[in-house]
Amino acid sequence: MGGAGQNSHVTLENPHQREPRAGHAVLGPVEPALAPAHQVEAFARLSDPALSELGLEEFLDELLLRVREALGVDTVAILLHDRANHQLVARAAKGIEEEVEQGVRIPIGQGFAGRIAEERVAVFIADVDHADILNPILREKGIRSLLGIPLIVEGELIGVLHVGSLVPREFGQRDLAVLQVAAARAAPGIERARLFSELEREHQVAMVLQRSLLPKRLLDVIGVKTAARYLPASDEVGGDWYDVFELARGRLGVAIGDVVGHGVRAAALMGQLRTALHAYAMQDYGPARTLELVDRFVQAMPDYAMATAAYAVLEPDTGEVQLASAGHLPPIVVGAGGGRVVDITPSAPLGAFSYGRVQEQELVLRPGETLVFYTDGLVERPGTPLTDSIDTLLEVVKGARSVDDLCRQAVERLVPVAGLRDDVAIVAIQNSEIDDELNLSLPADPKILSEIRLLLRRWLRHHGANDSQTLEITLAVSEACTNAIEHAYSPAPADFTLQATAHDDQLTFVITDVGRWRAPRGQDRGRGLTIIRAAMDDVEVESSDTGTQITMRRRITP
Amino acid sequence: MKLADVQFSDRERVVIARLSGEIDLSNADSIENAIAEATPNQALALLLDVSALDYLDSAGIHLIYKLREKLRARGQTMRLVIPPHSPANDALRLAGVARNIDTAESVEAALAEFSPESAPAQVPDPGSV
Repeated sequence: MGGAGQNSHVTLENPHQREPRAGHAVLGPVEPALAPAHQVEAFARLSDPALSELGLEEFLDELLLRVREALGVDTVAILLHDRANHQLVARAAKGIEEEVEQGVRIPIGQGFAGRIAEERVAVFIADVDHADILNPILREKGIRSLLGIPLIVEGELIGVLHVGSLVPREFGQRDLAVLQVAAARAAPGIERARLFSELEREHQVAMVLQRSLLPKRLLDVIGVKTAARYLPASDEVGGDWYDVFELARGRLGVAIGDVVGHGVRAAALMGQLRTALHAYAMQDYGPARTLELVDRFVQAMPDYAMATAAYAVLEPDTGEVQLASAGHLPPIVVGAGGGRVVDITPSAPLGAFSYGRVQEQELVLRPGETLVFYTDGLVERPGTPLTDSIDTLLEVVKGARSVDDLCRQAVERLVPVAGLRDDVAIVAIQNSEIDDELNLSLPADPKILSEIRLLLRRWLRHHGANDSQTLEITLAVSEACTNAIEHAYSPAPADFTLQATAHDDQLTFVITDVGRWRAPRGQDRGRGLTIIRAAMDDVEVESSDTGTQITMRRRITP
Repeated sequence: MKLADVQFSDRERVVIARLSGEIDLSNADSIENAIAEATPNQALALLLDVSALDYLDSAGIHLIYKLREKLRARGQTMRLVIPPHSPANDALRLAGVARNIDTAESVEAALAEFSPESAPAQVPDPGSV
């Protein structure tokens, strides 16, 4: 057994390096047949398949505990190979946790672990005091003897595993055998985890890029409901996206797109295209011109890029939708009477032709109808014609109770359990039913005013008001609500209510708050009430200790 | 989407502020401050162009008055550019203040008042074709 002299260490032969090292005692091959019962059990515990089910942290933790127990040693440590810096980094330890906590780094080739890594041999040090040890923690801990081996997967150095004893100890062939079983166990797991974490990181980057927020507003109140889902592919990131945003005059923009290709490049390109489309759309270019501008943007990119996209603008007052598609799958419209595929002639994909023209078309979403955009990952299945798959989609979503339910059903029933080969995006926008009466409790926040006007314009049109009536009534109601908000000067958030009713052509609005009607301050104030009186047929203001109520009426006979 | 936007340009020593979108209690103060900030002391006048506004109410009218007072204190004048058929004009009409403010129907008409070249009649050079 390794005659460990005062000034020497013993190098044990490693299966990966057959050539004996000059100047080191080399031990013969392991003889597992001679292992006593307790070591057989140790082998079994190190080979436990249940270990594979653990995450990397738990796996290393459990493995090191089992190594310590099997060998009866005081310390166990794993250092990983940092290829970029040509170093070993302490990754997990038992008994010398300081190694990991302090992030000990050992240059390859130096000291005990560094030599194991460079020469890819097992190294035994009988007496630490007289050996070339770089890491002061080993000495500070009072470790007397060390045994370490390289971790190797498919010829690649992954790291080093070493054990230590606080009392002088002669590590032998059987100890080495146990350690080699542990190393064989640990190395592939670590390598898998490393690859997985790289994939995971790539995946997370893609998810961050892809995450899109639906606009925060009282969409339910306004009468437009939206919902969306994004699902990544099971193995690779993709280039699908969706976007929903507000435009001027209460209109809503809905976009969907799919960058050709996969991986981080596709995901990054997707982020650029989504931003470009959003920015052009905000300039009010309309669907066709917006897509043409995104196409020019793609054409100007240094690398080849192609994508399909569709963009629609919904006018909530009327349900009118302007729609354009650059090579994207046709959207569907789902309503009470079932669903239909929108008959759209798609223009060429973005990036396909120089100066391509994008066609625009119109459709009307009746109250209760939902427009649904999706990407090919939802419907493309090997061996099934696309038209059949889209029919299946229509079948699956036609009974949906809400836009959110629609997206959920589509995803749950069309996405295979085994996972997706392609990513999936789906976005739905519903022109919901208009209530005959409004009865709203609203926060006393000035930001609510524009929402109220949107809702009111829609409601007024529903009841047959013309453009100038709509303008005047909206102005009067907004003024009354402004007053209610200004009354709510208490520090706590306050509410006010708005009721709107229609009897034939007589419209009545009641705005109630819990503050006092404040006397107009200065000659510029009080214009609100002037406007209200000018815009409505009659106005009553009732003020009491508990609050103020404005009731106003307007007849909308043409 | 921001409820409103303001776009600035300069013509000689006149600042033009073109408003778009909707102005109400939620954004009137910040728009007023932005316009006051963007009008330098050496400017002669401000043209407040409300032709492209989709909505304006008493909060916006208050803004117009306050801005006019601020500029007057600096010795600057303000013209409101407001076409007769516009949502902003309807609001001013309902509030009964339409005639209390110096107005012009277009930016060009308002600029003509401040342009030194526009004062003498332009005589074409007989030598030129």
